[in-house]
Amino acid sequence: MNTRHLVIAVAVALLMGALSLAFGRFGAYMVNAVAIAGIGALSLNLLIGYGGQISFAQGALLGVGAYTAGNISNAGGDGLLAILGAGVMGAIISALIGIPALRLRGLYFAIATLAAQAILEYLFKILDPITNGVSGLVIRPTTILGIPMTSDRSLVVPSLVILVIVWVAVSRLMRIDLGRSFLVLRESEIVAKGMGIDVAHAKILAFFASGFIAGLAGALAGFANRLASPEAFTLDLSADYIAMIIIGGLGTWTGPLIGAAFVVLLPEAIQRVGEAAGLSDILSPLRELAFGLLIILFLIFEPRGLTALLSRLKPRSLAVPAPGAVPATGESLPP
Amino acid sequence: MTLVLQLAVAGLAIGSVYALIAIGVVLIYKCSGVVNFAQGAYAMVGAYVSYALLRAGLHPVLAIIGCMVVLGGLGSLTERLVLRPMLKAPLVAVMMVTLGLLIVARAACLIIWGPDQIAFPKVFPEGAISAAGIFVTYNYIAAGILALVLSFGFLAMYQFTRIGLQQRCAADNTRAALAIGIHVSNQVSIAWAMSAALAGLAGTLLATLNGLSLDLAGIGMIAFPVIVVGGLSSLFGALVAGLLLGLLQSFTDGLLSPVLEDFLREHTSIYSVGALQQVVPYALLVLMLLVRPQGLFGRRGTERV
Repeated sequence: MNTRHLVIAVAVALLMGALSLAFGRFGAYMVNAVAIAGIGALSLNLLIGYGGQISFAQGALLGVGAYTAGNISNAGGDGLLAILGAGVMGAIISALIGIPALRLRGLYFAIATLAAQAILEYLFKILDPITNGVSGLVIRPTTILGIPMTSDRSLVVPSLVILVIVWVAVSRLMRIDLGRSFLVLRESEIVAKGMGIDVAHAKILAFFASGFIAGLAGALAGFANRLASPEAFTLDLSADYIAMIIIGGLGTWTGPLIGAAFVVLLPEAIQRVGEAAGLSDILSPLRELAFGLLIILFLIFEPRGLTALLSRLKPRSLAVPAPGAVPATGESLPP
Repeated sequence: MTLVLQLAVAGLAIGSVYALIAIGVVLIYKCSGVVNFAQGAYAMVGAYVSYALLRAGLHPVLAIIGCMVVLGGLGSLTERLVLRPMLKAPLVAVMMVTLGLLIVARAACLIIWGPDQIAFPKVFPEGAISAAGIFVTYNYIAAGILALVLSFGFLAMYQFTRIGLQQRCAADNTRAALAIGIHVSNQVSIAWAMSAALAGLAGTLLATLNGLSLDLAGIGMIAFPVIVVGGLSSLFGALVAGLLLGLLQSFTDGLLSPVLEDFLREHTSIYSVGALQQVVPYALLVLMLLVRPQGLFGRRGTERV
């Protein structure tokens, strides 16, 4: 049923495009932010939700994408080339981070990615010739296929196109042997070996694919912010992305998008409510507090995420069966 | 030579504080299998609580004891309210919820105490010793010794007392512990309480050295290199590795960074190595995981999840 996925993805993208037109510059900014976060969340969901490899280095990987794209674009390269270059760089770095995963599992690997995040953040700060150090790399407005990308409104188009391509590509990937082998890996490496899956090969490919998508998202984020700085790609960003895929629903098809929209729009919503309530003095810590509390409450009361919550609201015949701690991905992909 | 000695003393003092934090993380991991990212939050909150108690006019000893009691309560409360409902959740969700706790704690402290660095009231007498050409303030000596004594005291308690025995039993084999009448979930709460109290003390000691700010929460992350180097399930390993990493950081800052910076300035266009001492522990972590994943004192096999 890939046509159905394609239709849904295109419909969502068109809807987001319409929203960006309807709500002016701020609307375009928010739609762009959600689309970019959605791409990044799809990447992380591929790795954690499907592949079972917990990574805390997503923030730094986006940074790799942003710096690569910024350098290519500033040197006069076309925006499309910059985005693809960022993808390739992201894939390479992600595969490097994944190498310890060939020996380590679960918790130990998660801690290793924590180290990767710290080391990459440090490199962003000191590799002055490429990253312009702590002050950050200013990215000049780029042109994609000759069209200048001067505003959020023009950037929405490539973001949404890439979102659709990535979304459909991930769903396609999960229907072929390689994607299926990721699922087996997640459940048990020993079973995977027993089934004749080349574990090392599959793992590295998972990191490669996920890193490529993360690079794309990073490049788009760099173009949107016109700046790549070390403070933008910290562990906090990694935590945001993990929050997105858990809140959306680990290992589900729509979850990353729902989670991305939730995590990006929630602070804005809190901001509006806070301003209305006359709390603007302590708004930014209050926003953090509400965000943290919501994550905690979500994880306690609905660990399977918004997707599970929504499917429970559907009529019984359509509801996803079998509640379990880890959502059974086979179930959540439509047959 | 005096420089080396000076750096060693500073490194050991900071290292013993790392050990306190890391012991807490290992304790929680052994007992409940949770990797706690919020340990830094306990340290930060502990420092602020001590500050509030000191400002209220309490004697420093009472203030520190009060801080540990408050943090102990906070620790067991977190376990009851947040971690216990998540017993069957996947690993990534449990890690994420502790990150959520860190975000909440940071925001709460920001709302109550504001974003600025606060000068911490004097806890230890002012002054310094100079011997053998080196110069150490009483503050460093007191913080280092207090952290070391408490670390060793805690290890002794874990090894020799009745509650320590129950803790070890609950951590080793939950079912067997239940079968012989140990209330395992109470033991888990106790482990969280003790671990938060130790972190609160560590946070207070750090604040006496470096001043009080929200950045104290970052100290929780250094616990991960420490526990991996020491061995995830070894309390003694956490102590040794804490001291080791304190020394490593101190030597990196004082000896390696200047040399490296000179070299890079001469041969490349990089002119600063930045906070190299902050990233060296992570490099060691990766090396350790690749060479000896069970750490210096861990047991092979049992703790590999």
